[in-house]
Amino acid sequence: MKIKNGFVVRRVADQCVVVPVGEMSKKFRGMINLNATGEFLWSFYTKEHTLEEGVAALTAEYDVAEDVARADVERFIKTLTENGFAD
Amino acid sequence: MIYKIAGLRIEIKNEYAYTDRFCAKYLSDDQTSPPDIVATASKDEIDEERAGAPQFSDGYLENICLYRSMCLQMPQFDRMLLHAAVLEYEGKAYAFLGRSGTGKSTHTGLWLKYLDSAKIVNGDKPILSIGEKDVIAYGTPWMGKEGRGENTQAPLMGLCFLQQAKENSIRRLTPTETAAKLFLQILLPTEAVAAEKTLELADKLIQNVPAWLLCCDISDEAVRCSFESMTGQSFAQKRNGEE
Repeated sequence: MKIKNGFVVRRVADQCVVVPVGEMSKKFRGMINLNATGEFLWSFYTKEHTLEEGVAALTAEYDVAEDVARADVERFIKTLTENGFAD
Repeated sequence: MIYKIAGLRIEIKNEYAYTDRFCAKYLSDDQTSPPDIVATASKDEIDEERAGAPQFSDGYLENICLYRSMCLQMPQFDRMLLHAAVLEYEGKAYAFLGRSGTGKSTHTGLWLKYLDSAKIVNGDKPILSIGEKDVIAYGTPWMGKEGRGENTQAPLMGLCFLQQAKENSIRRLTPTETAAKLFLQILLPTEAVAAEKTLELADKLIQNVPAWLLCCDISDEAVRCSFESMTGQSFAQKRNGEE
């Protein structure tokens, strides 16, 4: 998956916030708050990567079991794809 | 015509006379030096406004579009629009926020009733100038339907989010809680550079200005609550004799 262009990502008050801009703002009205895992994965998937690559990156970065990491990455990919944010 | 608004030179290119009268108190003495911002309103934008509010005149609708045009360009000057009623008391500004109908006008009206030197900076849509540490709140011609406000400015010392309640209480909000509430009351541009800048300004605002949640009724006790927490002064000592 690769996340589409059209988002501005920034930390506001110690939390990661994602906002649609340009053409994307016509399709999606709202803001996204990301926790630490979400922030990591969002950044990772701004370039094209597979599910497995995401799992490997997450387990390398955080002290987390592989099955937990896989569940997180799967859910992340599913949420973004369902909302039309993925290429 | 060129106006001085929020510390900037704003050229407003209006077609209808409505805006000339509306902004008259902010007219700049200097009509020749270049402006910082040029505010325009296209026919399409006015048509779009009319679709949502057909009962208003074209001059009024153009006026709304012009403020939006101006405010979308504010972030590049470290400024942004805030939907809030802002008071000034003893040279300091205090902002009251909440959805329309929550009681901003009522609560700020109570401050005016009980505190002689309180005045309204902008009753509806002030502009904030956000520096590294300091924030300034400005009066602008856009003051809400009650038209409360002045061509003035003051350093912003507190953000107070209002909630109607049977009893009065106030507490500090965490930065995360503040951000969630604040985003509902700012203008977030859809152009990427301005959007990014607005998030940066929102972050600085939250880091530098304390925020409160006030649960309140419409008594003097509500004023005591917000006044004492935000100014650090005694309401009993500062209030006038009004009942």
